[in-house]
Amino acid sequence: MLQIRHITKSFPGVRALSDVSVDFTPGEVHAIVGENGAGKSTLIKIICGIYAPDAGEVVLDNEPITLHAYKDALDRKINLVSQEIQVIPKSTVAENIMLDKLDRYLSRGRIDWRRINQDAARYAEMVDLPVPVTELVAGLSTAQKQLIMIARALSSDARILIMDEPTSALTRHETDNLLQLLRRIKSEGVTVLFVSHKLEEVLAVADQVSVLRDGNLIGTRPIAGLTKEQIVQMMIGRDARTLDLGKLDVSAGRAALEAHGISQAGRFHDVGFALHRGEILGFYGLVGSGRTELAQILIGEARKDGGDVFIDGKPARIHSMADSLFKYRMGYVSENRKEKGLILSAPIRTNIAVTVWNRLCDRFGSIQLAAETATARQFMQALEIRATGPHQMVSSLSGGNQQKVSIAKWLAAQCDILIIDEPTIGVDIGAKEYIHQLIWNLAQREGKSIILISSDMPEIINVARRILVFKDFKIVGEVRNNGEDGARVRGYEEISQEIGQFLA
Amino acid sequence: MVQSKVDENVRQRAHTDSVGNALWSVLRRSDTSVVLAALILFVLFSFSNSSFLTPFNLFNVSRTAALYVFVALGQAMVIVIGGMNLSLGAIGGLTVVVAGWCMDTMGWSPWIGVPAAMLAGTLCGMFNGFIIIKSRLNSFIVTLASLFIFTGLVQGISQGFPYSNIPKDFTMLGRDDFFGVPYLFIFAVIVLIALGYMFKFRVVGRRILATGGNLEAARLSGIRTDNIVFLSHTLSGVFAATAGLLWVSRMGSAQPSTGTDWLIISFAVAIIGGTALNGGEFSALGILASAIMLTLIKNGLIMLNVNVYFEQTFLGVIVLLAVSVESIRMSLDSRTKRTQTDTP
Repeated sequence: MLQIRHITKSFPGVRALSDVSVDFTPGEVHAIVGENGAGKSTLIKIICGIYAPDAGEVVLDNEPITLHAYKDALDRKINLVSQEIQVIPKSTVAENIMLDKLDRYLSRGRIDWRRINQDAARYAEMVDLPVPVTELVAGLSTAQKQLIMIARALSSDARILIMDEPTSALTRHETDNLLQLLRRIKSEGVTVLFVSHKLEEVLAVADQVSVLRDGNLIGTRPIAGLTKEQIVQMMIGRDARTLDLGKLDVSAGRAALEAHGISQAGRFHDVGFALHRGEILGFYGLVGSGRTELAQILIGEARKDGGDVFIDGKPARIHSMADSLFKYRMGYVSENRKEKGLILSAPIRTNIAVTVWNRLCDRFGSIQLAAETATARQFMQALEIRATGPHQMVSSLSGGNQQKVSIAKWLAAQCDILIIDEPTIGVDIGAKEYIHQLIWNLAQREGKSIILISSDMPEIINVARRILVFKDFKIVGEVRNNGEDGARVRGYEEISQEIGQFLA
Repeated sequence: MVQSKVDENVRQRAHTDSVGNALWSVLRRSDTSVVLAALILFVLFSFSNSSFLTPFNLFNVSRTAALYVFVALGQAMVIVIGGMNLSLGAIGGLTVVVAGWCMDTMGWSPWIGVPAAMLAGTLCGMFNGFIIIKSRLNSFIVTLASLFIFTGLVQGISQGFPYSNIPKDFTMLGRDDFFGVPYLFIFAVIVLIALGYMFKFRVVGRRILATGGNLEAARLSGIRTDNIVFLSHTLSGVFAATAGLLWVSRMGSAQPSTGTDWLIISFAVAIIGGTALNGGEFSALGILASAIMLTLIKNGLIMLNVNVYFEQTFLGVIVLLAVSVESIRMSLDSRTKRTQTDTP
């Protein structure tokens, strides 16, 4: 039996897990659910030896174990099917399935491919992989690659099988097969840890569910008798759903940005929408549904094959972020701030002033360092960025403060239109609420027009009053939650159901 | 153990007063150690060898150091955006050959030969930059190819023969001095100061550093990073050409073999001088100190009667040491950051 006892893990600025204890019984599917940043990944990584806990212990068969690396976990037959697809494209399906035990198939210095293919075929069949095991992996679909990873885990006779969002790339049919498979595996006495956002799957397959929220274990319950609503309640807490930011009246607003007939070969076909002045417009959909991709077209980072963009009613020609910023005052707070939003090795000062250096020059064209520092200070204060000063390196800030810095540079640039992409991934709950309030204030008080891209349902419902639902590079629906006077008229449940209908 | 020590340092850093902070930031600077090392070497040589402090030797040391500065700048301009220029020496060689061909073969005045040679070097840099931004290939592979292209041109044009008929008024720059300080050295210091100013105070300099720090983020912050990459490679060509011309001016003849040893020199001086290998950092003072340091080491090896044929081995070992120190510094620096990047 696997147990975790009083596990605590902190990263600078964020407590990822605090005092979490769970028992995982053999022969059970144990679901772990929670919002983005709730601590699920951290928990899994601790069980797999990828992170060491600050406090607490992992106990296997009543014996505390110390894992220094994933390999230690593998040796104890703890197997992880991670969210990211890890396959070798130029090898066959069979090689990929048997990857970690090819050395068992040596006979007289040569690899016995026939035996490998035979054994691999058995596991491929278990996961219903519809291609011959001698096929190269390169040409397969994402779903098929995911099935290969699952087959690989099965082939190592795992005692504890951890699946991190295993169905995110799978079709309905493949998912059903997988769930069936999990039921079979557990009946053989394996402990299955099932991490998923999809509560229907959790309800269908799990025996127990543990809910995490902001690093705390809210509870572990038997699934029997639980409803989806009860789980959601545990995941997001009551207040998150009833949070009402107030009135946002955009009825008189002109369109700040309009897009007509946007097309991109193989992706978008004739997509259009309008963003009103002072409005917060939500782009909701799964990753890869076209939200971010449409934003990339708007800011000129991706080419469009057809269609027009109008800013303030005038046609806009935007071929790069530089055009977008300097000609049309449209900013983009990128998703994945560490890779695309921030210069981690540079101080806060640089990261905020990067968009306005040419405005901070004296008449000889030299940047005035005092003005630069003052600008940074101003926005550090305005956004309550907690740091020792403008000279602190951005890399040493917490996730929430980093996010504030990446928003600050666009405020410094005095952008009228802001596209904000997944602003609260990896930030703690306090900073998250602060960022929601900040986005709200930018629209309501300063009249900025904002597109909020998010896959976080409560976030998009609370902050945006008009939501475009994206699926397969199409806008499949529009959900309005704006009354006559700009007040919110419908509750969380109703809106989330409407969004769900569009996605179904 | 090391980890906890570093954490301790960080924690202390947050609490100490501004004097402590200032001291810490000096110690953390990437160029502090090389400045110290150069000073120590200088003192050591002064005491250990009576011929070291002679005007003649100092004149020679500072002249060589100045040439190294320009060679290193050619590399630093692209290292600073996270790239590299393997064709640097070949560009230098081509510049030399063009200068020699104009002034010797054609008998034109330096007023034509020098601009023509500068133009040749600059065009080479532009060529590299253009191919890199258009093909989206990395600078390693592009400049590796152009290394052969340019080298072929050098050999084709010169047929391997040096051009020795170089006008005296041009060689003056490389051989004369101003109150004992070579013109070359003065020129190098002026250029370094200008670059130091550019990277701290000019928008374009800041944008180059930002691009080097994180190209993607820089582009998404409204910087036209393609232009920056192109500019950096052009500047690399400009400095390679400058170094080539000064080489001619110093030698008094245009040797087609000029530049064949620049690859190691350029990386050695630039890296030891605190130009971060993955971009985003530049130190004018560091480059000066490291050019002087390497010249002193070379000088010292000669005085110690070490076989000069082994010189490249020493340079290689020094570069390895320098990058090891750099990587240790980076990992110490990132100890506190690493967990950040792991945050779920």
